[in-house]
Amino acid sequence: MKQQRLRFRFLTLITIAMLIISGAYGLYSVSAYGNRWVSSARNTRYRSARSQVVPGDILDRNGVVVASSDENGKRTYQSNTLSRSSMVHLLGDTEGNVANGIESFQANYLLGFETSLNERVNALLDGVQRKGDTVVITADSRLQTEIVEIFLNTSQTRGKCGAAVVMNYKTGEVLAMVSLPVYDPQNITDAIRNSSQHPYWNRALQSLMPPGSTFKIITAVAALENLANAQNAVYTCTGATQVMDEHLITDYGNEQHGEISLAKAFRVSCNNAFAQTALVIGDSALRKTAENFGFNDNFLFRDLVVENSRYPTTNRNSFEIAWSGVGQSQVAVTPLHLCMVSAAIANEGVMMEPRLLSRVQSPAGTVRTRTSSRVYRTACSKETAQIIDGYMKDVVKNGTGTRAKVDGLTIAGKTGSAEGSSNGVDVTHAWFTGYIDDDRYPYAVSVLVEEGGTGGSVAAPVAQQIFTYLKQHY
Amino acid sequence: MSKNKRSRAERRERDKAAAARRRRPDWMLVSAMMLFFFSAFLLISLHGEIREDGFVLAAVVPLMIYIATMWMPRFFPADKLLLAIANFLCALGVLVLYVTDRGAGTSRGVQQAMYYGVGILAMLVCILLVRYIQNWHFLIKVVMLGSAALMVLPLAIGTEQNGATNWIVIGGTSLQPSEMVKMALLLILGWYMSRHQFWPWFIFAGFCLLTLMLQKDLGTALIYYATTLFLFWGTTGNLPLTGLGMMGGCGAAVLGYRMFAHVKKRVAIWKNPWLYYETSGYQMVQALMAIASGGLFGVGLGLGSPRVIPVYFSDAIFAVICEQFGILFGVLVLVMYVILILRGASIAAGARHSFHAIIAMGATVMLGVQTFVIIGGVMKLIPLTGVTMPFVSYGGTSLVSCMGLIGLIQGVASVNQDDLAYDYEISRSMQDTFGMPNAEDY
Repeated sequence: MKQQRLRFRFLTLITIAMLIISGAYGLYSVSAYGNRWVSSARNTRYRSARSQVVPGDILDRNGVVVASSDENGKRTYQSNTLSRSSMVHLLGDTEGNVANGIESFQANYLLGFETSLNERVNALLDGVQRKGDTVVITADSRLQTEIVEIFLNTSQTRGKCGAAVVMNYKTGEVLAMVSLPVYDPQNITDAIRNSSQHPYWNRALQSLMPPGSTFKIITAVAALENLANAQNAVYTCTGATQVMDEHLITDYGNEQHGEISLAKAFRVSCNNAFAQTALVIGDSALRKTAENFGFNDNFLFRDLVVENSRYPTTNRNSFEIAWSGVGQSQVAVTPLHLCMVSAAIANEGVMMEPRLLSRVQSPAGTVRTRTSSRVYRTACSKETAQIIDGYMKDVVKNGTGTRAKVDGLTIAGKTGSAEGSSNGVDVTHAWFTGYIDDDRYPYAVSVLVEEGGTGGSVAAPVAQQIFTYLKQHY
Repeated sequence: MSKNKRSRAERRERDKAAAARRRRPDWMLVSAMMLFFFSAFLLISLHGEIREDGFVLAAVVPLMIYIATMWMPRFFPADKLLLAIANFLCALGVLVLYVTDRGAGTSRGVQQAMYYGVGILAMLVCILLVRYIQNWHFLIKVVMLGSAALMVLPLAIGTEQNGATNWIVIGGTSLQPSEMVKMALLLILGWYMSRHQFWPWFIFAGFCLLTLMLQKDLGTALIYYATTLFLFWGTTGNLPLTGLGMMGGCGAAVLGYRMFAHVKKRVAIWKNPWLYYETSGYQMVQALMAIASGGLFGVGLGLGSPRVIPVYFSDAIFAVICEQFGILFGVLVLVMYVILILRGASIAAGARHSFHAIIAMGATVMLGVQTFVIIGGVMKLIPLTGVTMPFVSYGGTSLVSCMGLIGLIQGVASVNQDDLAYDYEISRSMQDTFGMPNAEDY
């Protein structure tokens, strides 16, 4: 009987533990994913709220009203067509065409779900219709417009799909997030709805692409952290490296670089040297470095829903590992995450959490919440970041990224020409990611031009114009 | 003159006693509960279209709480905290169902209030059974045969609901026999386990599990299985056999997964409900959205849109509670179940007879496991099965059986109290007769 009592006590503990675990799990998942569930286009609750509350305004970082409601509760945007088109993916819409824009992701504020009881009662007594909160975002509407203009005015990028992200690498604030093609939110035609380019898609957050040579930033970090004298090692580039007897790793245009150091290989973007480096480092060490930079992580940012970047986790042959070293072979990244990668290098290895929400104001004007900067993770050591910083400056100074050079600014960057296929045809996606090394302009940029060609000739000039704009206007 | 004086003094005494009673914690707890439900029903009835049944419930539900928690314990000793929690949960179910009825044209709230009344009666019956029947030698065999027949009934004349054939319809009312047999199972387990007879309870439990599997009612099967296994280990401490039973359970789970398409579907939904949003995952996704939409403090009683969740009145009622009252309240509800389990366990620990200890512990574990199966399911910790949330979910059989389980625990509690009082009496008389300090010296 005494033994039985002891065992019964243990059974009680088990039963209670089960309940506590389900409660804790519920609390955890609501705090981690709750906002994503609520803002889902499938949630019908906000639809009914929209008929009772006037949704609040959305302001950009300079106080420009980028979304407002007219007296009928209909959403209105900026009067300039190009300006309102440039914000369309960032803001999203209320119909669920664009996923997780501000309109849906911050709907709890915009629809006044966070108003206090006091405010609700006052609105009821005053007899006025309740108005949602004003949401102030970190993005700059003029910069957004400028980027769209750059894409439309450059012959190489006109009509192409692409994306560009500008963020402050010290605070993580996203200044611009553009996805091309854009469309006019106040005039959605059938041509837009049925376009094969999928204009509703926010490519900056949802387009998972092979990073191509821009991934060499991470391979180089892995080499510096794992190999004893990585900086002094010499690789031999004959234009093609044989891996596993018959498969060949080739350089773009089958160039031959001869005897080459890591620094030079980075500057001229030599695939052979990096493929050999990747094989020496090994798959697991390279994956670990990639995961330090956020690959394979389940991104749970406060303001942004970003597709998770991938570095393959299955056992692979050396040919695939070699290609992963140069950002091919199932490695995939979004423009926003690639921008975070170079931002981490710029910020001495510390990766900031990207954020889009600056603050929320009640209709009366008092600040309800203000979001602060937060470190997402430490990607690499300060010393490594400084070495890579030198490599990236070299790329822009006299490497593949010279077309991103801006007079009077120290630019660091890396180009990428990612091999992909579209409907069975081999295509090349142009990438550029880089930053300004200047305390007055702490900005990192990433540019993707889908099927654009080489990164150095297509994406770098776009980045150059963005850098120039930042220099002139900030 | 003197008579008048005495009556005044008497009255003063009486008032004092009444005031002291009102300050007692049990009375304060129950009156807070009564006030909560009275004002909740009143507010809901006055909001929007005025309905009379709300006023009736505002009076009847607090009255039932009073009868079950304060008036009934006058006739036999009982654990008032346990009673208060069980009654709070029942009344909460009535409230949530009544609130979701509004504008839907259903009358589940009023029906649930009637079931609640029946549940109180069932509890009373179970208390009396445990309290006054000591000799189950013959009776247990009748119970066994009767419940075996009940378990088979759905297979013969049952109707299928949500993939499981676990309902029978008798004279217009539908019943779920597996709910009623729960109490019988505990009595049988308790009787034979306390007498160290293995085969009778083993055959009965195995038979129940087999019929439940055949009815494809896997959620209830899990509850039966877990309770039986827990109690077996608790009474015998036989680890090898318990391990064997666990392995058998896992084997049965794998077999069920392979055999039944709807089990496969449930597991797939559990892994990622969003993939099946348009079809089978709809309920899960809507439940999660509802829980998240409520936030910490809820959207408010009667607000939100609970009815978009399929089966909001039964499986997903916890999501409705979380949406309207907030996730903090949801956690508090969980805490109430935890306290309920703690009370049940302490009553089991205080039992003098193994039979009583086993039935009290069994009822406690059964309620705990059922709560875990449904709340863990709604929270997406485990695959969702169509089990009711104890006391709260809509459904007469479920509510009555849960109150019956509480009745079993209360019956044991009252016997414990009597035993204690008897001990005290003996030690007093010993002291009086022999001048002994107390009975513990023996």
